[in-house]
Amino acid sequence: MNKLLRALSGCVCACVLGAGTLQAAVHDRIFRYGFDPASDAPANANEAARFLTQATFGPTQADIARLMALGYDAWIEEQLGKPATLSQPTVEQVVNARTAGGQNVGSMQRLQRWYWQAAYAPDQLRQRMAFALSQIFVISDQGSSISQYVVPMAGYQDMLARDAFKPYRTLLGDVTLHPMMGRYLSSFRNQKAGASTSPDENYAREVMQLFSVGLIKRNMDFTPVLGGGVPIPTYDQTTITQTAKVFTGFTWNDAPTSPSPNFYGGGQTFAAQSAPMACWGTELFPATGTGSNNMRHDISAKSVLAGLTIPAGQTCAQDVGDELDIIAAHPNVAPFISRQLIQRFVTSNPSPAYIERVATVFDTSYGDLGDVIKAILLDNEARQAPVLTAGDSYGKLREPVLRLTAMWRAFDAQPPAPDAYGEVKMTAGSSLIGALAQGPLQSPSVFNFYVPDYQPPGALADAGRYAPELEIVSESTTYSTGNTWYNFTARAYLGMSNPPVDRPLVNLAALTANATAPAAMVATINQRLLYGSMSPMLQATLTGMLINLNGASAAEKAWSALYLTMLSPDYATQR
Amino acid sequence: MSQIRQTRRDFLRGLAAAACCGGVPALFPQLRMIGTALAGTRALTGYKALVCVYLSGGNDSWNMLVPYDAARHAVYATSRGGVYNASGNPGGLALPLPTGSQIPLQTIVDAATTGDVSQYFMHRSLERLAAIYRANKLAFAVNVGPLVRPITMADYATSSNRPPQLFSHSDQENLWHQANTTAGSVRGWGGRSGDIVRSSNANQDLSPCISIAGANRFEIGFNTVPYQMSSSGLTALSGMCNPTPCSGVSATSVRDNALNAMLEASYESDLAGEYAKVFGRGRDLYNLLKAGLDATTLATTFPSGNTLAAQLQTVAKLIKLSRQQNYAARQIYYVRYGGFDLHAGLMSGGNSDHAALLANVDAALGAFWDALGPGDINSRNEVTVFSASEFARTLQSNGSGSDHGWGGVQFAFGGAVNGGRLYSDGGGPISGFPNQSLTAPNNFSRGQMIPGISVDQYAATLAQWLGVTAPADLAAIFPNLAQFGSSNLGFV
Repeated sequence: MNKLLRALSGCVCACVLGAGTLQAAVHDRIFRYGFDPASDAPANANEAARFLTQATFGPTQADIARLMALGYDAWIEEQLGKPATLSQPTVEQVVNARTAGGQNVGSMQRLQRWYWQAAYAPDQLRQRMAFALSQIFVISDQGSSISQYVVPMAGYQDMLARDAFKPYRTLLGDVTLHPMMGRYLSSFRNQKAGASTSPDENYAREVMQLFSVGLIKRNMDFTPVLGGGVPIPTYDQTTITQTAKVFTGFTWNDAPTSPSPNFYGGGQTFAAQSAPMACWGTELFPATGTGSNNMRHDISAKSVLAGLTIPAGQTCAQDVGDELDIIAAHPNVAPFISRQLIQRFVTSNPSPAYIERVATVFDTSYGDLGDVIKAILLDNEARQAPVLTAGDSYGKLREPVLRLTAMWRAFDAQPPAPDAYGEVKMTAGSSLIGALAQGPLQSPSVFNFYVPDYQPPGALADAGRYAPELEIVSESTTYSTGNTWYNFTARAYLGMSNPPVDRPLVNLAALTANATAPAAMVATINQRLLYGSMSPMLQATLTGMLINLNGASAAEKAWSALYLTMLSPDYATQR
Repeated sequence: MSQIRQTRRDFLRGLAAAACCGGVPALFPQLRMIGTALAGTRALTGYKALVCVYLSGGNDSWNMLVPYDAARHAVYATSRGGVYNASGNPGGLALPLPTGSQIPLQTIVDAATTGDVSQYFMHRSLERLAAIYRANKLAFAVNVGPLVRPITMADYATSSNRPPQLFSHSDQENLWHQANTTAGSVRGWGGRSGDIVRSSNANQDLSPCISIAGANRFEIGFNTVPYQMSSSGLTALSGMCNPTPCSGVSATSVRDNALNAMLEASYESDLAGEYAKVFGRGRDLYNLLKAGLDATTLATTFPSGNTLAAQLQTVAKLIKLSRQQNYAARQIYYVRYGGFDLHAGLMSGGNSDHAALLANVDAALGAFWDALGPGDINSRNEVTVFSASEFARTLQSNGSGSDHGWGGVQFAFGGAVNGGRLYSDGGGPISGFPNQSLTAPNNFSRGQMIPGISVDQYAATLAQWLGVTAPADLAAIFPNLAQFGSSNLGFV
């Protein structure tokens, strides 16, 4: 039934009904079919907040109430049915207005909108999933090949949001054909072999190494399959060279094909820059004779992954379809993708059994990513944190971006009014990537901000544990992220004199109400930012600090407690 | 926070780590701290620093150093799809022979060989480095890459002879950082060298390994983790005491005390504990370095808008400060410059093509050389700069760029470098500047070169110069070194 609902909502979404109608329809459906809304409700608000810390950009008071009312399953189903909040239309409007007004245009326009969506979009699980997927299917404005393509990069983000709960194979196809991916990993205008050239191997390699199967064969629980005691590679260099031939012939969707074909033409509009790439294969031009010079796709036979062969003489669409089918059917995909998604939402060190349970759902649902995220979040290993004891490595370091958005959402941050170009400014005049070492579609390379197998030296590495996000925690970034938290708390609250207009203003009322009751103020922060998990040490430290801040204003006490919590090791992690 | 307390705690942790990870060598680095004369057996005098310049993405180094004689250049040009020409041959990746006024700027002679095969030219973007080469202070190591043992194409067929995951960025970078192809490790040869040499450093708070480019495996050892600094230097922490703590009672000092309390606490969660430890280290090092770094100026102007130059400017300041304050006898720096994964636009990408990247490298390294010079820090003889990159690239073109390769060219320069020549003989079956024909016996079909020199040999040569000379230490850091004919290539 859930599947049916989702399919239904997808259809409605693609048709003409507005979002309000859609949500109402979903709700009616859910209740008509007799859910007991509270049968699997969180035991208390702290448990609800803990779940929402995993599943969203941070719990709000309203989301906690909603989750308590619906229960986990229905809350997830409701989220799976919510249509994607989109970036591209807004970014395009702002870019056009700024261009018309003689203002410069750049990634900032995309980022302002992205942070707004993270803070305020109702489809939180979808947006969060899109952010997680953007850290697997990486494109980045730090690469010069797409940095100036602001609007279509927003479109790529939208594509991830639309596909967030669709089958993996659908996502893989859309990623492969998106021109921003094409340009980022240079399949764009990649061509069949010439007299002294061979096809570009870039996309062929990374689609297998990073987006699907990885380098070595895996069991369903992600442990390596061994042959003679050693891991078995999933493919070799010959496979790469052969697979490179599949991804040839791509260009802009509107590159003119007649009467004067121009492989290097087109791509002058935002629509064309966001539309799936065209492929100049035999579907468009003959393989031999007149006009064959425009047939840019390699039609020779290809020996690809898993020892399979793609026959000669197919169209480009057939070749790409076959190749992606072969990749998506590889047994590595389920554990490889499941493990990374678990790392993004729940824990850096999932047990093999947890990975296998999720990977099994991945397989039996034919890669339905909605089913997969549900399995990740409802698994017992996600819902029940082990008892905290020395040497614990459960949970994860919170990603820097998520530390910021969670604070906004916990304390009801109010966005500034749109500026003269219709833009709502969120980032305090900075792209934030330099300070946070993380940002949406801003990775330094296709290997993301951190790798899944990063092991920080010391206790974690000695115990064989992973902590991807610690790769971007350094003596330098602890300071630069800290200063960012200061700018978004001490210098960004409602009621301050001369408030900035380039960032949301935090509502400190829930804290200042207890300006003379330090323990109560700390309790509010504990509940809202740490789902009640604040250590006794931190509670005592913050309470003592507030007592000693006896000469400070109520607002300074409040932002000091908020700022210090954001700097704390307690908040830097989630369990 | 008390620096001394922090140091004591780290010291005790270090001892514990050493005890579990085995062996007397692992214990030595900390011995100085308990005042024993034993450390004297390893005392290193004077000052030396290694600077690793990591060119990430896979530098197409066969276009850094090119045969200048007509016969070999013709082979090279054919393999690369001909000389690049925007209108006539946009897929060609070969550089033309320099002509006219470019000849004296680009051409160099290999003092190790004679005749036609001693004639080379460097990429036109590398004029500063070419001048350093001609002053005999820059050397090339030719056809270097990760190897398990010396091999030929025939040996490659046996898979146990192959390094794991050839052609993968992440894996090959790790192998370069480790200089060891047979055991995966979170540690690198820089950090493990730091373990050995750090006992000679007067200030044990400052790691011998300093990164201006974030986390990296190269600088991680058993008792050494890199101190990571930003190229913009040290910034104060808002709303806190800078340095910490501050005297008097103020809202700032109250907050500051609270922060230090939470950073000094112990955590059952190793994730929280590691975060607290790194943050606390950041506070200690801010205290140690901020004032001195602000007061340290350089006579040399570094180019603006060049991220590698910004990193190297910070390295130059830290070297100057470290020498003035006698912080360290041995240091290992790590800087990084990206964008080399030029599958597309290798020759034609405007401000991000290979020529543009190399021009930035040349300008940054040229300024660094100036800063090390007699008119500024005056430390040329004490500093050796070396390049690294996960792989070179296919000689054959993909129509717009090149794909992942294996062996490539690296350079090292400094006052101590025996430069003006190529080092291409690692004692194995493949040596010399490689035959660049796509059908040559030691290439794969797209011109991916089987290396003649292993990363182990290249790295061990540099580590020995730094002071890692005991055979047991070298064997521990570079366990495969004994597989190769030479453990010191002699370029420094």
